[in-house]
Amino acid sequence: MSTAIAATIEIENVGGLAGEVTARGGARPMSCFQCTKCSSGCPVAARADLKPHEVVRMVQMDQREAVLASRFIWECTSCQTCSTRCPQQVDPAAMNDALRAMSRAAGKVSAGTAVPAFNDIFLDTVRRRGRIYEMGLMVRFKLRTRRFFEDIGKAPSMLLKGKLPLFGTQVGGKSGRKAMFRRAAQGGDQ
Amino acid sequence: MSYVFFPGCSLDGTAKDYHRSTLAVAAKLGLEIPELKDWICCGSTAAHSTDPLLADALPAKSLASAGGATVAVACAACYSRLKAANHHIAGDAAVRARVARVVGSDYDGRTPVRHLLEILSREIGLARIAQAIRHPLKGLKVACYYGCLLTRPPEVTNFDDAENPTLMDRLLETAGATPLEWPHKTECCGASFSITDASIVLELSNQILAMAKAAGADCIATACPLCQLNLDMRQKDIEARFGRQYQMPVFYFTQLLGLAMGCPAEELSLGSLVVEPRDLLAAKGIAC
Repeated sequence: MSTAIAATIEIENVGGLAGEVTARGGARPMSCFQCTKCSSGCPVAARADLKPHEVVRMVQMDQREAVLASRFIWECTSCQTCSTRCPQQVDPAAMNDALRAMSRAAGKVSAGTAVPAFNDIFLDTVRRRGRIYEMGLMVRFKLRTRRFFEDIGKAPSMLLKGKLPLFGTQVGGKSGRKAMFRRAAQGGDQ
Repeated sequence: MSYVFFPGCSLDGTAKDYHRSTLAVAAKLGLEIPELKDWICCGSTAAHSTDPLLADALPAKSLASAGGATVAVACAACYSRLKAANHHIAGDAAVRARVARVVGSDYDGRTPVRHLLEILSREIGLARIAQAIRHPLKGLKVACYYGCLLTRPPEVTNFDDAENPTLMDRLLETAGATPLEWPHKTECCGASFSITDASIVLELSNQILAMAKAAGADCIATACPLCQLNLDMRQKDIEARFGRQYQMPVFYFTQLLGLAMGCPAEELSLGSLVVEPRDLLAAKGIAC
């Protein structure tokens, strides 16, 4: 009963970090009452610098710097276990998506993570080719992050097993796709 | 019901074996799944963790071109992104309008999206599957592994019970195998961290393999290219890191179904598996 009521309350005029996260859609950080179910099921809680319920509380308390610079937001695997089990519809996974974008915009990305570089290469590949071509993606990622030898031993057996074709497929409509990416970056405004 | 197939990028690369075995099983069942023309990448985690609008627009572009057919999906990650885009677009007029401006045409978010597991279990039905079984997988104990994105979040995917899905279990049971009860059906394997921080994948995949072994599994069955790759290809690294040796074959569920339906091994690309399954299959008297 209380869950149903909590879910229907519209939270208005929330300021600070919580307000920004809420405005970006999906997440409801101010509904969290610290039951810690999210952290119990989180696959990376044990290794990250913060646990999901701690991040939510820090968002409530407007601890912008610590949250946006945390390693946790980049170690989250987006498995959605937290969001599925949350009794308050906080949706910590959606909250993390918003925090990642805000962390990048604010130039606060945690030093050790390669995830933003990977995401950029991934999306640029989609923009140009329409599809991901794994071999090309890995080569570009390794060049960008200078991790030339990590997992390089996997390539020969993957090639032999037909798991890494040398040439990927691509689809036409490149100029239309580029325009689509440009309009998305502008927020879909008219 | 008519279908178009959205294979997704992995099925043309690391998951070619999933692609081939899917087509082999579909052919045995008379299920027509022509490929959706000019589909584009769903955007995956890279899109939704960068820009929510782009994350809805990429799937919308493909889904709008399905021409009224149901979109059949094999990859759990594509499935999740296509379903999420539909959920956002159909549920919020403002999102629909913004996506329409980005894509350049309106899409209502109502193209049906189904995973192969749903199509085979619910639309083809277990009775028809049972009729197609030629060589039951007798004595094969399988840990059915669903991963994250088929079931979560349930209000978006509406796939099966979010904590204890059984669609794959029932399918493989129909194929004569023995699906096991085990607690890691929907734990995360670490997904695309295989490229950005493999230590996460080694830790999480090790836990899944350890639990499958503890449950008495002969093998694991998967329905997602990233899950399969992590659990199969990373077993050697896991051995080096944690000193645990599993030698646990990790199949796509379509490969096991195909074996039971009498598809030849080449059609199922069994040779693409990193952990060799042939000894196990021979020990169980399963021809391939």
